[in-house]
Amino acid sequence: MAWTRVAATEEVAEGEVVGVTAAGQQIALYRDKGEFFATGNVCTHQFALLSDGYFEDGCIECPLHQGSFDIRTGKALCAPVTEDIKVYPIRVDGDDLLADI
Amino acid sequence: MFQSQAILGRMAGCKNPDQIDDHVWPAEGLDSIPDWVYTSDAVYEREVERIFHGRTWNFVALEVEVPNVGDYKRSYVGPTPVVVSRAEDGSIHVFENRCAHRGAEFCRSSRGNNKEFVCPYHQWSYDLKGNLQGIPFKRGVNKAGGMPKDFKNEDHGLKKLAVATRNGVVFASFCHDMEPLEDYLTPEILKDFDVVFNGRKLHLHGYYKNEVPANWKMYHENLKDPYHATLLHSFLVVFGLMVAGNESAMIADGKYGIHGTMASAKKEDKYAKVSDDTKKEMRSFHEGMKLQDERFLEYIKEFDSPWSVTMQTIWPNLIVQREMNTLGVRHIVPNGPNSFVMMWTMFGYEDDSDEMTRHRLRQGNLMGPSGFLGLEDNEALRFTQEGISKSTSDQSVIKLDAGNVGTADSLISEAAIRAMYRHYREVMGL
Amino acid sequence: MKLTGFESASIDPATARELRFAVEEFNAEYCAVLDSGEIEQWPDFFTEDAVYRITARENADAGMLVGLVYAEGRGMLQDRAVSIARTQMFAPRTNLHLTGNVRVLAQQQDGEFTAQSTFMLLQTLVDGPTTLHLAGRYFDRFVRQGSRLLLRERQAVYDTTMIATDLVYPV
Repeated sequence: MAWTRVAATEEVAEGEVVGVTAAGQQIALYRDKGEFFATGNVCTHQFALLSDGYFEDGCIECPLHQGSFDIRTGKALCAPVTEDIKVYPIRVDGDDLLADI
Repeated sequence: MFQSQAILGRMAGCKNPDQIDDHVWPAEGLDSIPDWVYTSDAVYEREVERIFHGRTWNFVALEVEVPNVGDYKRSYVGPTPVVVSRAEDGSIHVFENRCAHRGAEFCRSSRGNNKEFVCPYHQWSYDLKGNLQGIPFKRGVNKAGGMPKDFKNEDHGLKKLAVATRNGVVFASFCHDMEPLEDYLTPEILKDFDVVFNGRKLHLHGYYKNEVPANWKMYHENLKDPYHATLLHSFLVVFGLMVAGNESAMIADGKYGIHGTMASAKKEDKYAKVSDDTKKEMRSFHEGMKLQDERFLEYIKEFDSPWSVTMQTIWPNLIVQREMNTLGVRHIVPNGPNSFVMMWTMFGYEDDSDEMTRHRLRQGNLMGPSGFLGLEDNEALRFTQEGISKSTSDQSVIKLDAGNVGTADSLISEAAIRAMYRHYREVMGL
Repeated sequence: MKLTGFESASIDPATARELRFAVEEFNAEYCAVLDSGEIEQWPDFFTEDAVYRITARENADAGMLVGLVYAEGRGMLQDRAVSIARTQMFAPRTNLHLTGNVRVLAQQQDGEFTAQSTFMLLQTLVDGPTTLHLAGRYFDRFVRQGSRLLLRERQAVYDTTMIATDLVYPV
C-alpha cells in the first residue's frame, strides 16, 4: 500500500461520488459533510461501478441491483450484496486528495 | 415421432367444437366417455384453469433434487413452467418461471445452484424466494430516467405458488387456500403413499422423459384400468408373472374418487400357476417360457404392506410407482389435448446396499419408455388418441362391472374410471 | 469408463488406426443386424458378462445409474431380445442407424480396449415420416475373441432427453 494522489479536492463536490482509476485500481471517492472517503468502485456482487450509484446518508447504493454499502466501513448493508467493499484510508494534502492504495 | 410430426395429423372437426357449450355429455352418463374429452381445445383450456390452476396439489419435485441452499429445479404445474428453489432458511419455494418485467422464461437449466435468480435480458434480480431484489438503474443515471418514485419491489416479484411437502415429496398449488396436503391425498391413498415415502432419505437413480401423443387423462385411466394388465402386457403372461387370478385391488379414494391405487400381491413362486381356462383367455400365454436371468423376478419384501405392487394415480399430475422393488415417480405435463410429456424420476433409498441398488436398476427394465410393461401402455395410448381423432364414432364405452363407481372387488372392472369422470364432470361443469 | 466430458486417447496412433477400422466394421455389422430386424442375434455381439445400458446424457453427466435399458450379463440381453421379438406389443416400425466419429482411447495389456463413437437412430412408423428418434454416443469396452471383437460393455448415452413416445429396440 502506498499513498497516491487520486484527485483534486474540488473534483469531489459535497454529497457526490466520483470514480477514478489510481495505481491500477478502480476507486470511488466521496465527500460526506465535508469529510472525504474512498472505497473500491466495483460492486462485490456483479460488475457495476458504485460511482454510477446513489449516494445518501453515508451509504452508497449500487445502480445495478440496489445493494448498499457503508462508505466508512465498507460493510455490505443489504441484499443482494453480501461481501464488504474494500475501504482505503484517505487524506487531504493542500488541494489534493491522497489515498493509501 | 412426436405428436407435432404426424403427417396425417388433422383431427376431424366434430371432435373439437369451438364453443364450450357445444360439449354435451351423452345420455349414457358414466357408462360412456365422449371423445371431445380427449380432443377438444376448449375443454383442455378449462382443464388447465379449473384443475391444474385450481384446487389441486401438483407434484413438482422430490426434496432430494434440491437438497442444498440455492439448489433449484425447473418444473411444471400443468403446462405452466415453474422453478422449485431451496432458500437460505431451508424452506422450499415454487414460483412461475417468468420474469416480472417483460415475461422472459429466465431459468433455463434443468437443475443447478445459485445465490439468486437473475433474468438475462435486463438483469432483474430475484432472491431465492422469488422476491424482486434489484433492478438495474432503478434510480436512473445522472438523475434522469429510472423507475417512478412509487415503484415498489414488493409489487413486482415472481408469481408464487403455495407449497406443501410430505416425506420428501414437494407439491405446489396456484390456490393459496388449499386444504392441507394430507386431507387432499386422503387416508386410503396415504396408506400406500407412505409405504414408499416413509421418511427414509431417497437416493436418485436418474431420469427419463418422453412425449406421448395422447391426452393426459388417458394415463390416469390406464392405471385405473386393471382389466388391461394381462391382456396388453404379454410379458407378464408369457413368463407367467401375473395372471388374472392374483390377489389384487383397484382402490379409489373415498372422498373424491379421483386418486387411485392399483395393487397386487405376488405369489411366492417365481412363476404363477395358470389354470387352463384362464390360459385360453390370455392371448399370449406360451407354456414353458422362462427368463434366462430370473433375478429380475425376485421380490424382496422390504415394506410392511400386503402388496408387492402399488401403482398410484394422484390427481392431477402424479404417479407413484412401486413395482416390486423398483421405485419411481412420474410427473405428467399436459401439452394440449393431444400430447403430454411424462417426466420419470427413479430412486431408491440412501441406505440401500449396492446389491439392492443394482436389483432395483435391473428390475427397472419393467418400467419406463423402454420398459417391458411401460412401452405397451405408451403404444396403446397413442393408438387410442389416433383412433379417436379421425373416426366417425364419437364416444367410448365403459360398461365393465356396471353400476359400480369407485373401489372394485374385481380386476375386470371400469369402476375406478367411472369415479374419475364423476369428479371430473363436477369440477369441469360438463 | 468416463461417460462425461472429453477423454483424450492414450493409445499410440498406429494401433488406434487399426483398431478404429475394426470398430467401424463391428458397428456396421451390429447396426445391420438391428436394422434388419434380427433382434434375437443382437446378444451375439456381447460377452457373457457384458454390461449394456441406454441412458440420457443428463444421467451420465450427474453420475446417475438408471438405464432405459439396464442389462447385466448376456442372459438379460437375451431376455430383452426374446421379449421384443416374441411378446411385446408395439406398432410396427423400421430403424436405421448411422454411426461415426470412432475414437479408440486406451488399450490394456490383455488386449481389451475402450472406444467411443456417435450414433443416430432413424425411425419410421407406418404412414409416418422418418424421424431422428435418438442421437447419442457409444462408450465401449471391446475384447478380442480370436479374430472377432466382442463388447464387454456398451453404454449408449443419448442426447435426446425428450423421447418421442418410446424406444422399442435397443440401439
